Amino acid sequence: MKPTGVIFFPAFDWAISPTHPEREERLLYTRDQLFEEGIMDMPEVREYHPRLASAKDVSRVHFCVPDVTSRVTEAHMVSAGCAMVMADAFMQKEVKNAFAIIRPPGHHAMTVVHGNRGFCDINNEAVMVEYLRRTYGVKRLAIVDTDVHHGDGSQEIFWHDPDVLFISFHQDGRTLYPGSGFTNELGGPLAHGTTINIPMAPRTTDEGIHYIMDNLVLPILDEFKPELVINSAGQDNHYSDPLANMSFTAKGYAILNQKLRPDIAVLEGGYSVETALPYINMGIIMAMAGIDFSNLREPDYNPSRFRETAKNMDYIRSLVAHQLAAFREREKVVETNRKEGREFYGSSRGIFYDTEYLQEEQRLDLRMCPDCCGYRRISSSCVHHSGRSYSVFCVSLPAACCPDCAARARQDYEDMKKKPGGDYLYLQDRINDEYKTFETGTGRETTL
Amino acid sequence: MTREKHEVNNMLIGIDVGGTYTDGVLFSEGEVLSSVKHPTDENDLEGTLLSVLDELLARGGTKDVRRIVLSTTLVTNLLATGRGERTALLLVPGSGLPFSAYRISPDTYFLKGGIDFRGREIEGPDVKEVEQVIRKVHDSGIERVAVAGKFSNRNDAHERMVEDRVRSLYPHMDVCTSNEIAGRLNFPRRAVTCYYTAMTMREWNRFADSIEAAIRARVPGSDVHILKADGGTTTLDASRKRPCETVFSGPAASTMGTMALSRESLNAVSVDIGGTTSDISLIIEGAPLYASKGALIGGHLTHINAFAVRSIPLGGDSRVYDESGELRVGPMRVGPAACLGGSEPTVTDAFNLLNGLCLGDTDASRGKLEAVAGRLGTSLEELCRKVADEVVDRLERNIEEMFGLWEDEPAYKVWEVVHRRKFELHRVIGIGAAAPAIVPMLAAKIGVEHFLHRYSPVANALGAAVARPTLAVEVHVDTGRRTYTGSPGGLKGTVEKRNFQLEDARELALNCLKEVSRERGLADYAGEAHVYLEEQFNVIRGFTQEGKLFDVGIQVAPGFIHEYKGVA
Repeated sequence: MKPTGVIFFPAFDWAISPTHPEREERLLYTRDQLFEEGIMDMPEVREYHPRLASAKDVSRVHFCVPDVTSRVTEAHMVSAGCAMVMADAFMQKEVKNAFAIIRPPGHHAMTVVHGNRGFCDINNEAVMVEYLRRTYGVKRLAIVDTDVHHGDGSQEIFWHDPDVLFISFHQDGRTLYPGSGFTNELGGPLAHGTTINIPMAPRTTDEGIHYIMDNLVLPILDEFKPELVINSAGQDNHYSDPLANMSFTAKGYAILNQKLRPDIAVLEGGYSVETALPYINMGIIMAMAGIDFSNLREPDYNPSRFRETAKNMDYIRSLVAHQLAAFREREKVVETNRKEGREFYGSSRGIFYDTEYLQEEQRLDLRMCPDCCGYRRISSSCVHHSGRSYSVFCVSLPAACCPDCAARARQDYEDMKKKPGGDYLYLQDRINDEYKTFETGTGRETTL
Repeated sequence: MTREKHEVNNMLIGIDVGGTYTDGVLFSEGEVLSSVKHPTDENDLEGTLLSVLDELLARGGTKDVRRIVLSTTLVTNLLATGRGERTALLLVPGSGLPFSAYRISPDTYFLKGGIDFRGREIEGPDVKEVEQVIRKVHDSGIERVAVAGKFSNRNDAHERMVEDRVRSLYPHMDVCTSNEIAGRLNFPRRAVTCYYTAMTMREWNRFADSIEAAIRARVPGSDVHILKADGGTTTLDASRKRPCETVFSGPAASTMGTMALSRESLNAVSVDIGGTTSDISLIIEGAPLYASKGALIGGHLTHINAFAVRSIPLGGDSRVYDESGELRVGPMRVGPAACLGGSEPTVTDAFNLLNGLCLGDTDASRGKLEAVAGRLGTSLEELCRKVADEVVDRLERNIEEMFGLWEDEPAYKVWEVVHRRKFELHRVIGIGAAAPAIVPMLAAKIGVEHFLHRYSPVANALGAAVARPTLAVEVHVDTGRRTYTGSPGGLKGTVEKRNFQLEDARELALNCLKEVSRERGLADYAGEAHVYLEEQFNVIRGFTQEGKLFDVGIQVAPGFIHEYKGVA
């Protein structure tokens, strides 16, 4: 039997600020627990060495303003690189599955990056997904986000991508950052139903979450038939997390992973550094490696402490039924949307960067392509911390882009170069694996 | 070789007991005055050691020996052959991995109790249960007990309680606690190390007693040191509590010998080519590389610091033959090279002809190899070249794999990943009898210089003779709980919470090292300690700082005694 790959990157020399939840201490006790248990010595586990993601790896997903190197910290580059190391280990069949216990996290980072959102600069899972597609030709994937916070970054990145099923369960956005992830957020017009949100009431327990797993998440995965399942393994649903209000246990997380059987799991949030993380991380490794976890429990664990209320179970049952139906009618809805025959579908919105207090204004246009999921044009402006205002225009080709969209997208980029206005133009050409930046002020173009 | 009597008391002796041969040297002022090689009698290591010692003393014509360092296989043999006495392992694992992960001893018992990573008690032990288990151990005729608890390195209370119960119920039993043996994280390795210690302590002490008496009778006033797996020495007395540190001292002796001969701060690979096997070790900027996970003994990883040595079944005596029309080199050894009277052609024979080494009976080399060449339908020269290529390729491949493994060690800091380690080799150092024939070609193939020394054949015993004591201390300070604990085991105390900083942790570590080195009779080298590990973490609860955690490691690294100034 092949081992489970583990990469442990606690970034012991990096913090957002000394007392920030995302600080050096975050995975310290996890280190102590993993090392003391000696789990990395077991034949069921193989430990890997981290590496840096390149600017090109990041550019497959993001438009970093003004560029990757000046926008993204080295710590985030290592974190994303670690996810890629796990992807390699899995795809090269060195391991049966893989778990990246890494920080900083990534699931709040969106396509355009002006700064840090929800402790994230870049999206580790998304960088890994595009790497998997580019390097190994993987097409259909599913991301199951089990962080207590809505994975709004991952949702936004794959919103128009029908080949990535994004499922997020999280504490109801009316009670917690980032305030999104409601049931009506189901994906863009050509990717409707491949985004599934499961907002849960505060204090939901193991029982409630496992009902959702058994009756919604697993059936949907079964029907979607992804080539690969990724778990965005946030650990802040735990009853002791200081930033959220749920009642999940370490054993609950282990059982969840036993059921989900993710091919690759990537740590996201989780800020109960002493009471939860050491035990949940152990639990996930053990579940993925097939090691009996019945002896694993938190120091203050009491099996009878949390009971699901009948009222919450009623809510969960109706939520599950509703979202299962939404998922099952996805193809019909997409077909209807396509028949409308619009050239472009447009939307505008503001995006708030909580870590840095930035406000981005964004306009997105999706080509309603009859043959593929369409290419995207994004114009975005934001005043950065430095006081400088940036206005950028981005063109993105999907991985499964049709030749017509590819030609039009490239032409759009070339046309924009001739027009005045804006600071930077970007072309994300996933078909040619080419990423261009055009600085309008100097007329200089760089290609990654 | 024997030289006239030296007048001053500056003679050093190193004896390395190997699996096949025992080597000894008498060394003084940069010269090997005398060297001795005897076959090792596995059943009488003491006798072998003393016969080598006696011959060295007789040939040197002196009893003015200041220091004797022994490298022995006693503990390695006991553990490797499973001849150790039956030993019970009492574990206090608490929550975490299933108990089935810890079946180290056939006599393993699990006890209630739990400590967390900050040394806080999670679950108290049950005295009644402890006493019942101890009685059961006694009733099954076991007299040696090892006690290990998870996170006992952060709080030893549970292990101590069990130890106390054993001592008061059965004072004649040997009992070891894991926190005393090793203070680092990794409970299974600590348990294994403690178990092996309890298993071998009595035999080691019996050996130490008699060898000490025998040496005292011959050379009164000399210091007796034991070579450890980490390439350093410890006093015979201090070794009594930690017999396991003496495992794998043979490869350590060779590596220290290599370093003694090639004393530059280079990246080097040391290739010790013996008859049956070649041992490869890496030297990085002049310092030998350690096995990152500790010594592997009997299939278990331990907390014993040992060099990362890769042994491959390929040596000067590896047989050269043909099988189904294909050339084969090794792995078995049938006897010595044909040129040295062996019945089969070997690797040494091929190099003998290829490089015109004129070893022994060159005609015998030619005759035996021609027969193989004839069956394979190639010329003799072609065959020799093929054998050499095969040997050099295999060595090179293994060396590259070792670089790769070193470069791919896990890293836990951004800095370490951004400044990724890259191994750039400067030289290949050859030791062992067959090295002069093979190592120059190997180095040429890799494209670096080679280094051979006239003392290469006795490098192991020389390495033992001039190796200095080593000692490493790691302290873990928790200012929130006002405690410190550490390695080597048994270190603990309290700290003042206010304003304790990294400098204080460093000073604390240094003081601990000084104290431990005094206890072990190694104080001469405490001044050469350097810090190798430094970590500090703020403990934040809410948004305020509750304390700090420090990990500081300080060590006297492997090196040479003060009077060693190189070889003449």
